[in-house]
Formats: sequence, C-alpha cells, structure tokens
Amino acid sequence: MADGLAPALLRVTDLVKTFPGLTALDHVSLEVRGGEVVAVVGHNGSGKSTLVKILAGAYAADGGAVVTEEGTELHFIHQDLALIGELTAVENLALYKSPDPDRACELVGRFGPVFDIEAPVRDLTPAQRAVVAISRALDGWTHPANVVVLDESTESLHKTEVDVLFDAVRRLAADGAGVVFVSHRLDEVLTLADRVVVLRDGRKVADEPVATLGHGRLVELITGGQAAMAHTHETTVRDGDPVLTVRGLRGGTVEHLDLDLRPGEIVGVAGVLGSGREALPSLLYGAASGAADELTVSGAPYPRRSPGGSLSRGIAFVPGDRARHGSVRDLTARENLTLPQLRTLTGRFGNLSARREHAEADRLFTTYQVRPARPEQRFALFSGGNQQKIVMARALRDDPAVLLLDEPTQGVDIGAKAAIYDAVESAAAAGTAVLVSSSDAKELLRLCDRVLVLRDGRCAAVLTGTDLTEHRLVTEGYGLS
Amino acid sequence: MHTPPEEHPVRAALSFHNISAIYIFVIMFIVFSVWIPEKFLQPGVWRSLLDAEALTGLAAIAALLPLVAGSLNLAVGAQVGFCAILSAFLLSKAGLPIALQLPAVVLAGALIGYLTALVITRLRVEPIIATLGMSSVLLAGMAWVSGSQQILDLGPDYRRIATTQFGGVTVPVYVLLVVAVVTWYVLERTPVGRRMYAAGYNPEAARLAGVDVARLKTGTLVAGGAIAALAGALLTSRINAGDPTVGPSFLLPALTAVFLGSTQFRRGRFNVWGTLVAMYVLAVGIKGLQLGGSPRWVNDLFYGLALLLAVALSQWEKRSARRR
Ligand SMILES: Nc1ncnc2c1ncn2[C@@H]1O[C@H](COP(=O)(O)OP(=O)(O)OP(=O)(O)O)[C@@H](O)[C@H]1O
Ligand SMILES: [Mg+2]
Repeated sequence: MADGLAPALLRVTDLVKTFPGLTALDHVSLEVRGGEVVAVVGHNGSGKSTLVKILAGAYAADGGAVVTEEGTELHFIHQDLALIGELTAVENLALYKSPDPDRACELVGRFGPVFDIEAPVRDLTPAQRAVVAISRALDGWTHPANVVVLDESTESLHKTEVDVLFDAVRRLAADGAGVVFVSHRLDEVLTLADRVVVLRDGRKVADEPVATLGHGRLVELITGGQAAMAHTHETTVRDGDPVLTVRGLRGGTVEHLDLDLRPGEIVGVAGVLGSGREALPSLLYGAASGAADELTVSGAPYPRRSPGGSLSRGIAFVPGDRARHGSVRDLTARENLTLPQLRTLTGRFGNLSARREHAEADRLFTTYQVRPARPEQRFALFSGGNQQKIVMARALRDDPAVLLLDEPTQGVDIGAKAAIYDAVESAAAAGTAVLVSSSDAKELLRLCDRVLVLRDGRCAAVLTGTDLTEHRLVTEGYGLS
Repeated sequence: MHTPPEEHPVRAALSFHNISAIYIFVIMFIVFSVWIPEKFLQPGVWRSLLDAEALTGLAAIAALLPLVAGSLNLAVGAQVGFCAILSAFLLSKAGLPIALQLPAVVLAGALIGYLTALVITRLRVEPIIATLGMSSVLLAGMAWVSGSQQILDLGPDYRRIATTQFGGVTVPVYVLLVVAVVTWYVLERTPVGRRMYAAGYNPEAARLAGVDVARLKTGTLVAGGAIAALAGALLTSRINAGDPTVGPSFLLPALTAVFLGSTQFRRGRFNVWGTLVAMYVLAVGIKGLQLGGSPRWVNDLFYGLALLLAVALSQWEKRSARRR
C-alpha cells in the first residue's frame, strides 16, 4: 500500500501536449510509487489516453518531463490494445521470444476458459483480445518494481474476467509494482485504486486518496459539478407483433437460439466470454456467417442475411470492435456518419449534396455531444469515447426498426453514457426494437425490459421484472443456480 | 481543451505540405529557365509535353481508380501495351473499320479488368500478385499477337485521331480532361466514390456499413481497364504503328504520379487532380533534364527516385497526422 516512504517509480512533471486547435494536456503532474494503484479518470477527451501515449513514447510531449526510477520498466495495455492482428495469440504473447503454446495457454487461462490461441488475433472477440493484451503486459517481468499502465482495459470484459484481472493487478502491486489504471467504471476505480487523479479538459483537477472520495464526489470532480443522471429503467412488457423473429439461429459461438423482438422493447443479452453473447448481434445483422431455421423481419422472410440487406430492412448495428468494424479511421467523422445511408443525401445528378451532408453531420454532432465539434476531422483523431459516440450516432441516424448493439458504451464517460442511454430509450419509445449485448451488468439493468442470459451458445434464462438483478445475471451466466 | 485558434485555412491550403508538387514545379521552372532558356522556354516544348503526357495521364487514372478501392494495379502498363497492339491488329490484320475497332478495344480493356477482378475477388489473390500475373500474361499476349514486330500500315485515317488539334491542343488532351472530370466527379461528389474510399481504407468496416466491396472493386478494375484501353488505342494512333515495346513503360510514371498525387491537395487521399499535377510536374523535370543533355537512363532514375520519395512522403504524412 502507499506509504510515504515507498520510492516513486514514475514521476511525471508539468506535461503539456497540444494538438492543432486544442490543448490535450495542460501542465499535468503525477507520481506513481511502488505498491500503489493510481486511477486516472476524466470525461471523454480529457487527455487520459494522450497521457498514456506520451508515457509509452508514442507521442512526444511539448513540455514537461517523464522520469522513471532506475531499472523500472513501463508496461502498457493500450485502449486499442496494440496487438498484431495477423499473428496468433501465442505469437503475440511471445513477440521477442520463441512462441510457447503451453505458456500462452497458462497465461490466458488465468482469465477464464482458454479460447483458440492458434487463431489470428484479429479473428478473436474484443474481450478475448483484451485478455491477450493483458496477459502480454503481465508476462515475463525480470524485476518486480515495474509500472503497468492499463488504458480502459476492462471495457469489453465481463465482471468475472475483471475480477481475475484485478487479482493479478493487486498481486503485482503487493510485489512492489506501480499501477496506473484508466477507467470510466467508477466502481472499479473505487475498489481497485489507492489514489485517484482526475483530469478535466487536460488539466489535473484532483489527486486524492481513494479513502476520501465517494462515488458522488468523484462524479462531481469529473463533470465539474454537473449532476449525472442515474435513474433506472421501468421494465415494460410489450405485446404486438414482433418486428424480428428468429428460430434456430446458429453460427460462431451461438448454438441454437430463438428470439422475438417487438417494437419499442429493449432486450439485453448477457453471458460470459464464449457464451454466444458477443456473437449474437453480428450474427443477426449478417456480419458473421451463420444459419437460421427461420428468420422474418416485419413479417417478411429474410433468408440470406447481409449487412446491405439488413440496412435496407431498417436493421442497424453497432459492432463491438469500433476500430476495425465500426469505422473507417482515415475518413472524416462526417464521412463515417453518413456512409451506411448515402441515398437520402443524393441529389438530382446522383451527386452527394454537400450542404445536406454537412447539416446532417452537424446535427448528429450536437445531438450526441461529440467533442471537439469538428466533423471534418479524421475519425482516428477523436478520443475513444467520442469515437464511440460517432458510431452510435451513425446507427441511430435513420430511426432504424431494429437496433443491434454490441457493447454500446465501451469507453464512454458517465455524461455521454447517460446521453447514449437516453438516445436508445427515445429510439425505443419511437418504436425501434433494441437488442443490447453487454458485458456490463449495470448497463443491462439500466436499459433493458428483459435480458437473455446465454450459456454455451443457448439461452439459459430470460430475466424480467423483479428477477432482473445483477445477482441473477451472474449466477445464470455461470449456471450456479 | 480550451481552444487556441485553428490552423488558418488559406495558409493550410498553400502550405508546402499540401501542394509541394507546385512548389517543386516552380523551383524546377526557375532552374531550367536559367540553365537552358533557349531550349526550355519554347512554346513547342510545352505543347508537346501536354500532348505526349496525356496518355500517361490516362494510364495514371486507370491505376488510380482501382487503387482508391484498394487494389494496386501493376498491370496498367501491360494493359496499355496490349490494347495498343490489339488496336493495330484489328485495323491492319483483321481489317475492322475504326467505328468498330475502337469500341472493340475499349471492350477488350474492360474485359481484362473484369478477369483481373475475378482473380482478386473470387480466387482471393492479393491484388499485387494478381495484377503482376496478369501483366505477364498480357505481355505474352502482346508478343503473340504482334510476333514481337511493329504492326504498320494502319491506313491513313487512324493517325488523325490522336493528332487532330482543336485550338492548338490535340485530341488526347481533351480525352484526358473528360476522363479526369468524370473520375473526379464520381470520386468526390457521388456515393459510389465515397464507398470506394471506404472500401479501400477498411474493407471490413465498409462491408458492415452495407458497401458491396467486391462489386466496387470489380467496377473500378473494369473502368480502369477501359481507360487503359483508351490510352492504348490513342498510343497506336499517335505513333501510327502498333509497337510492342512502348506500353509497359507507362507503369512507372503512372504509379509515381498516383502516389505523389496522393500527397497533394487531399491530405493523403488518392485523388485525380493531385495525380495529374504530379504527373505533369514529373514530366517537366524529365523534359528539362533531357533538353539539358542528360542520357536516357536518367528517366528511369528520376521516376524511380520520385516513386520512392512519393511513397515515403505519403507514409510520413500519415504518421505525422497521427502524432501531431
Ligand atoms: N492525434 C491527434 N490529433 C488531434 N487531436 C487529437 C489527437 N489525439 C487526441 N486528440 C484530441 O485530444 C483530446 C484528448 O484525447 P484523449 O484520447 O487523450 O482523451 P481520453 O481522455 O483518453 O478520452 P476517452 O475517455 O474518450 O478515451 C481529444 O479532444 C482528442 O480529440
Ligand atoms: Mg482514451
């Protein structure tokens, strides 16, 4: 634990970083001592990832200094994980060594069931990839007093996977390592961290021991006083004809699934890694290949699913993997927003109406509070949470009949999260049927009318009303009841 | 995130970064004007440059279109060459009238593009390899059709297509202009163009956004093939013979122009006007060196270095955009 005597392994002083048009870090200083877990929190775009990237040497600071204790190495788990997609998990774990499948199995196995570690990493689910990245950062230390930096590494992990990670992190800290932990999940911050550093608009606004902070105070510090709404969802039972009906759906980790989605309802999908939870939305959308005995949309059969076919039937999809599937990083935000549906912006000569397209992008930027408000900026240059807002905005743009969401609020700060929940709820109120697959139990409780808990590719339970509790989600997910 | 002023738009547009080719052009112009004024500053030189390079411009656009959608086409030179020979063959050996011969050649070019696309999208061969293979097949076809000889006696009329002038400018320049304007419109002003860029940058994300990536790729290769065929037909008309050695030499200048062009105007995006400006700037450099008496191998050296530089520049651009 942090006592004043432990040496500072990492000392950051007066760090400044500007990008054209904005200051991402404004004289930020912080220290990490051995045995200490320091959480860095702040709203989307507050400069957390920029800080991490400077520590990693990916960005050069414009001013200030980063000093490490003699012999201390920094290990990173980046927000985008920085894995090599073409290589397998085994190879990614052994970039500077010879690949060792047994060792890889053991490392990965600490976080739950071992998945296909000989498959290219790009074919894994986001959660599996997170496990690989984490295993890599925690592997092969020659010296206990290192510093590990985790940038939103838990966003795509399920509660139990998070627990395993936290155990590993605590063990490291107990052995004298320092930990920097970036997260939007304030409960995690409060359980894991010894000290919390709060960034707001690139400035450090607080640096306090966790013991003096509560959830409410932390929210206040992050938002700068604006209250974040916390209200729970009234579960409602809808009747009426389903807009989407599927029988005997299978593909990927999904073995057999029946589902009816009715207009206006929000249906959650829960389950541990490999349960089929993460495969379901992309399977329904036609992004992943699979088959179904029967699938109808608005009463009409929809035999061969494809993204184009789904879009034209009013089915929108937010992939769990924002960087690879959800966006084209080298196009501008505006171009990303309008890509799936350009027809409505097309003029008489088959041309895109620049005026209408810009207006549309501006409207979405305002509605979803994307910052900075520059639709002409390349997508890649937005912070993680703002990228997620753009991807959400794009899916909601044309009032879809069915909205399929895979981890819709990963990397999103509390304020924006509330905005996204509101958007999903108002879409539902307007008649959209929503399916949310999420590893975040709170999110499912907050949003959903009913939740399907998947286990081994099948529906293990359907929870509604008073049965819909965090406890039940976990026990059903593991088949403990 | 308190906001210092954004970069000034006019200054950004005129920065060396954005229009380096134009600065390079100005420098070269001054150097050659001082060094060899009596040769370099002749209107005839400039007119012939405009005319001669129009075909390179067509070849560059033929390479540009597939590249936007993600297929690097190493066969453009061979495509131009093959279609040039085919033009001559259809006129002299098959005796087709021009009214049939021209459409036949363009159709053949489109078909070559279609076959290449099948190899890429159906057999899933990487575009570089597919087009390299296609290039070799076309070279063989050229040798076979021509017997590795020039095909002469094309009749008196064919020559006029490429040499007729309007307002002092020959037909190929107008053809290039039309093709360039259409390509620009499609790439920058229509949904199809937007989808092409998306497919080229991230095919998987494009697919999930409802873009039919395979069909787009096919479309660009077919259109590129037809444009390369047009270049081939005009080439044969220009030199009034089917020459099996000329076509392949279009590859390097075309690709160099496309890559260097991507560093111009559109911050790393492949684009038509950047391509054409880059191509003419390179051509002026070559011309100046030739007039100054450099040996012919300087051409290859110049284009080779320019290509390496262009690609290095566009990579640097990408990295700096990420870091800044
Ligand atoms: N390469 C870049 N060029 C221009 N602006 C950038 C670049 N990288 C980051 N930014 C901007 O700097 C600000 C800080 O971004 P950063 O990624 O550090 O935020 P963050 O705190 O990690 O947010 P999130 O919680 O959304 O991940 C954002 O406004 C972002 O748009
Ligand atoms: Mg971040």
